Amino acid sequence: MKAEKVVVRGVEKRFERKQDELLALSAVDLSVAEGEFVCLLGPSGCGKSTLLNIIGGFETPTAGTVTIDGQAVTGPDPRRVFVFQEYGIFPWASVWDNVALGLRKLSKDEQARIIQRTIDLVGLKGFEKSFPSELSGGMRQRVAVARALAVKPDIVLMDEPLGALDSLTRMQMRSEILRIWREEKMTILFVTHDIDEALQLADRIVVMSPRPGRIAEIVEVRQEHPRVIGSPEYVRVKHRLYELLGVSHSV
Amino acid sequence: MTPFAPYLIIALALVLIVVGKRLKDPAPVIVLPLATFIIFFCVWHIAAVAKSYPLNDAQGNFVRMVEVFPTPWSTLQGMLVPVKDGMLLRYAVASVYRVAVGFGIAAAIGIPLGLLAGWYLRTGQALNPLFQFLRPISPIAWIPIAVLWFGVKDEAAIFLIAISSFFPIVVGTMTAVRTIPLVYVRSAQNFGLEGYELFRRVVLPACLPQIITSLRLALGIAWMVIVAAEMIAVDSGLGYLIMDARNANYYDRVVGAMITIGLIGIALDWSMRRLERIDEVRWGFTKQS
Amino acid sequence: MTEQSTVGTKFKSQKFMDFPSMKEALIARKIDATFMNAPLAPKLVMDGVPVKIVYLGHRDGTALMVKNDGPVQKFEDLKGKVVAIPGRFSNQNVFLYKMMKERGMPFDSITIKEMPPPEMPSALAAGSIDGYIVGEPHAARSEMAGYGRVLMQMRDAWPEFISCVLVVRQDVIDNQRAVVEELVRGIAASGEWLDEDRQQGAQHRKDAAVVAGKMFYNQDPKLLEYVLTKDPTRVSYTNLFPPKKQFDDLMDIAVELKVLPKRIAFEEYVDTSFAPDLETVDHTFDRLPGLDKVSQN
Repeated sequence: MKAEKVVVRGVEKRFERKQDELLALSAVDLSVAEGEFVCLLGPSGCGKSTLLNIIGGFETPTAGTVTIDGQAVTGPDPRRVFVFQEYGIFPWASVWDNVALGLRKLSKDEQARIIQRTIDLVGLKGFEKSFPSELSGGMRQRVAVARALAVKPDIVLMDEPLGALDSLTRMQMRSEILRIWREEKMTILFVTHDIDEALQLADRIVVMSPRPGRIAEIVEVRQEHPRVIGSPEYVRVKHRLYELLGVSHSV
Repeated sequence: MTPFAPYLIIALALVLIVVGKRLKDPAPVIVLPLATFIIFFCVWHIAAVAKSYPLNDAQGNFVRMVEVFPTPWSTLQGMLVPVKDGMLLRYAVASVYRVAVGFGIAAAIGIPLGLLAGWYLRTGQALNPLFQFLRPISPIAWIPIAVLWFGVKDEAAIFLIAISSFFPIVVGTMTAVRTIPLVYVRSAQNFGLEGYELFRRVVLPACLPQIITSLRLALGIAWMVIVAAEMIAVDSGLGYLIMDARNANYYDRVVGAMITIGLIGIALDWSMRRLERIDEVRWGFTKQS
Repeated sequence: MTEQSTVGTKFKSQKFMDFPSMKEALIARKIDATFMNAPLAPKLVMDGVPVKIVYLGHRDGTALMVKNDGPVQKFEDLKGKVVAIPGRFSNQNVFLYKMMKERGMPFDSITIKEMPPPEMPSALAAGSIDGYIVGEPHAARSEMAGYGRVLMQMRDAWPEFISCVLVVRQDVIDNQRAVVEELVRGIAASGEWLDEDRQQGAQHRKDAAVVAGKMFYNQDPKLLEYVLTKDPTRVSYTNLFPPKKQFDDLMDIAVELKVLPKRIAFEEYVDTSFAPDLETVDHTFDRLPGLDKVSQN
């Protein structure tokens, strides 16, 4: 067993609303090992994005703690980088300048070396001077990934990063993410509501349920990559996930 | 010209529209507005002729037609003198200068103030009601204040232009800052940007398209106010030309000055639109795929 | 002001906020007759607008005002100063040039600014102009408020000058002679009436100030009363026959100063055939119309 990278203990999150309170997260406990790929899966409103935002330091829990490498999370930190669903890359900056965002403290030469390497890694060679508005959705998502990887983060937090892409591009991007994950060896927490996406990517799938948001079960996927989609193990886990999510899988 | 000539020309222009809209780009971009303008001038001519009346002497004999307001043709003739002796150019330069200074002052104060009021919640809460309170007051209502404050000098006209373009700029900038998508700010914070660097690399570029839009709007208003501003206090400029020509019964020059104002207005707006094409802001003006 | 003749034709009066709009209403034949500043009438005729002067509106009633506590004591002190006039085609403008010419002052020694008359008193108070020359009641306003002082009454330097004239459209003159005659007689009658007791308490003028101020102009009746009665010779409403000599003199100076582009004959812009024999004008009014409506409050 590898070292525990992220530890979530008894996290609770309440949002004040006009008349009442919304319990977005209730008593969440979770450990993520170093280098692990964990998917947070659940229907909308189950608090999976809220949990990711708390781990990223963008929101503070009402109760409980989050520690990374034993240190409590108090705010955003370049060592754990967030990739947003709507990308968060800057439309006013070129691909090059976007990737350079987290490298401001390095020397120009060092910056150039890392930027070029990262752009190559995500397959955007030749688009360095392009602006995001000139790129397709999938390419923009690659820019977001490149910008995150450039700072060599320990952890990458991805909030439905492929949600806005068409299904073919999504499949392609999943393989890309897996390839990069294997090459760069970082820890990934990945929020999705797509069962197949979780099945294809994750070492472990954290299934969440709503009202209040909580962890229903953590399902392990013991299958080497590349995973064969029709294999008995794949189908078995998929059935289990359908059961947990309370939906019929035969239409 | 026979009385039927303008109707004939209108008919031809309509044909031009029917044909023009089927042409391949970019021909319609030139043909269609051209036809519209031809129709506009013809309607103007018809209206001016309809308004003129015959003068008869005491015995009822026709003497001549009296023109109440100028036709396009008499406007053109009336403008020959001010064009030839350079007065029109001189006045146009004077007006553009006043607008440039007034608008420049408004932008120099309005943009920083709008950024502050947008970024710092409390500053915005303090200032916004005042902006909204002063904003709907017509620049014309400021005229007495401008005269009392600055006297009958250039400064009064510049003040009027500055005050009328200030509010669209400051409110537009403030709104731009307030509506920056959270995801940009979070991304920036995630990569450790803060303070001045956050402002320069994220807040300012994120707002720039909206700031340019409000500048464009403000320049249009400033140019519109020039007539009112120059009716007081100054003795040059297109607004002054309108007032002076009006007093001297030169209604052809009044209309000529109006047309000049319209043409320069188009040119100013066109130059502002050029700004929208710069790489760093173009994203804000094109629909993303 | 509404003129109601004894014969019975009703004349509808309309108030305009500025002189150009009034002039344009005349050009567009929305009104039949109007009062205007004297030099503008021949200018309109020159520009092809068929109108004629048929009578004068009043006499005198124009003053050159300066700051009460200011340094200007005589006309020459205005050198290098800013003086506001109501318009280029005003007799006030002609007057300023005439004064400068008589004193051998260069014509650019005074900066002349055109300004709507209502704004002049406050501009003087604020110090953005050093003086202004205008018809009443705008001259008296700064005097009454305390910060303005009469430097000169225009009539003292230019006796018998023509200030305000009654202009009527040519087609109305041609087709409705009787109505124009009636209008002119009415103006003559009310002028006689206003002036007949002006040296004996000027009760007629006091009544007129109340009626005019409250019913027509939204002006402070006290201001109008001040103008009309404090010095009852400040404005005159008699001697309103259009005099050829003064019109010719005015035309000469205006052309010389390029206010008017050319001279035209007196008969081309004046028609004296309506001016009544004052002996035949009945100017006895029982009571000023409307006075009972406004005098109580």
